Amino acid sequence: MENISTNAAVKRKVFLAAPSKTMQRRYLLFLILIAPAFLLRIGTAAYPIAQTILLSFTNLDLLKGTDNYVGLQNYTAMTKDYGVQGSLTFTIVFVLASTVLNLVVGMLIAQLLNASFKGRTFARTINLIPWAVPTIVAGYAFRWLLDDKFGLIPVWVQALTGAHWIVFITPLGARIAVILVQVWKDAPFMAVVFLAGMQGVPLDLYEAAKVDGANAWQRFWGITLPMIKPLVITMTIFRLIWSLASFDLVYGLTQGAPGVSTSVLALQIFQQGVVFFKFGFASAISVVLLILVAIVGLIALRLYRRADVAY
Amino acid sequence: MIEAKEMPAQNMGNRQPFTIQWGRIGLYAAFIVFVLVVLIPIYWIMRSSVATSPDLHTSPINYFPHFTLQNFQTLIQQVPFFEYVRNSLIFAITTTLLTLVAGFLAAYAFARIQFPGSGVILWILLLTMALPDIGTIVPLYRILAGLHLLDTITGLSLVLGSALTPFTVWVLVSFIKQVPYEIEEAAVMDGATLPQIFVKILLPVTRPGLVTMGLINFINAWNNLLYPLSFSVGEASKTLSVSITEVYNGYSPYGKPWELIMAIGVTMVLPVVFLMLFSQKSIVRGLTGGAVK
Repeated sequence: MENISTNAAVKRKVFLAAPSKTMQRRYLLFLILIAPAFLLRIGTAAYPIAQTILLSFTNLDLLKGTDNYVGLQNYTAMTKDYGVQGSLTFTIVFVLASTVLNLVVGMLIAQLLNASFKGRTFARTINLIPWAVPTIVAGYAFRWLLDDKFGLIPVWVQALTGAHWIVFITPLGARIAVILVQVWKDAPFMAVVFLAGMQGVPLDLYEAAKVDGANAWQRFWGITLPMIKPLVITMTIFRLIWSLASFDLVYGLTQGAPGVSTSVLALQIFQQGVVFFKFGFASAISVVLLILVAIVGLIALRLYRRADVAY
Repeated sequence: MIEAKEMPAQNMGNRQPFTIQWGRIGLYAAFIVFVLVVLIPIYWIMRSSVATSPDLHTSPINYFPHFTLQNFQTLIQQVPFFEYVRNSLIFAITTTLLTLVAGFLAAYAFARIQFPGSGVILWILLLTMALPDIGTIVPLYRILAGLHLLDTITGLSLVLGSALTPFTVWVLVSFIKQVPYEIEEAAVMDGATLPQIFVKILLPVTRPGLVTMGLINFINAWNNLLYPLSFSVGEASKTLSVSITEVYNGYSPYGKPWELIMAIGVTMVLPVVFLMLFSQKSIVRGLTGGAVK
């Protein structure tokens, strides 16, 4: 290590050309240092995922006491399962709708936080509060805020429009509520990331556009959005994958009701696996979820290639 | 929002007296809507946590009900409230420490020991972030049971700490890369060993990064519901997040015991919101550090 030069390029060369004993020691050190992180990930993510796939072909059920290989039986059962079918539908609706709304609202908040006005510091200060609030508490708080008799929002709606609004009684109302509360919780995080991206856009670009007579709307589509496009793609992918596995909010806000109209695959896995101990069936639903994640991943890869994002 | 991109100085120059600035009005309208939407749920949680149940069920709404701490007393009497607070704290702290240790060591390796393929190894680690936590619940239940770690905070911390480690590594790599390698080289010349370099040189200079990820992971762990809900059985490891779901499943003469649910809600919300408000710059740097390059 003593002969490593300060110049980075030379350093690398020297390191690669260094006596093999030093190199071996560097590799060994590398392995030792990454070992804790990788052992954790293998033990609690890679190995369990492999187990999930294997279990999905069994009828392992702690309460019934069965544990046999059953082939694709769980998968065929899923196609007839009312809960899984409903959950699959709403999972897709929820993931797409909440992602689009998160992007739009996140962008709007970022524009607000980037504008110069009195109160900007205050707005930036409170922006991350929803991010810090535990999702389960947000779920219950909005359930109570939307209570048809004593909740603030329906009472105000009734005062303004005269309509008695029972949010959670119709599938549509409950679905809109789940999606909007998710946006309340997560859009501020999007906004923080977009804001950081916007602050990196050179100001003279805007000046030049203004000289050319571009209005604010044109400047946003012509400059801001293209400049932060890689960020938008990254956040979209994150959002899609996170919301596929999202469990807390639905558990707190609706528990999937009415019927299974707001149930998601994550909630079904929890109920079948942790509540009813139908490990085989729950694992099969998990595999469906994994396939959805993989599809998002493949789309992400294509998007990255096309956008030419350097990673 | 039209003024969004203009320099303040130019704003002053453009400002004409006696003309209505619709852009400004729109901006302040957006600001007011934003503040209301963010803060009303917080107000609602706080109001409900310090009111009696009858005060919460009035028409018209009683916006500033008589202040009482009765709900917290009820909780202390009816559920092991302090045990839950303690468990939440220990769970969050252990998880945070685990992520910082495992994350820092790996981040150092990725930042300092580079060879063809080391980048790919980092990407494999980051890719595991995409694996949905809910999809591993069943096997994890069996693994933890096999290790006798069900219903223990150790088990919960291992599982959640593992889930939070990749992002921690990602952010810490960029923090360590900012530290000039020359400092370490000089220390090596002086005969310092690797542990000495870690403790005496890297720890002080990467402290902002460690604090950032410590705060983010603490908040994540404090807020976590899935793992304690799935793997905790009793007072030994149940957290506040589990207890709030249990109180929600209870009934009171008015339906749901909202005053008690919101009292636990406040207990969960206030610590993390204050932590966030007091260390916002640090947290924003961490949250954006991964995505913004």
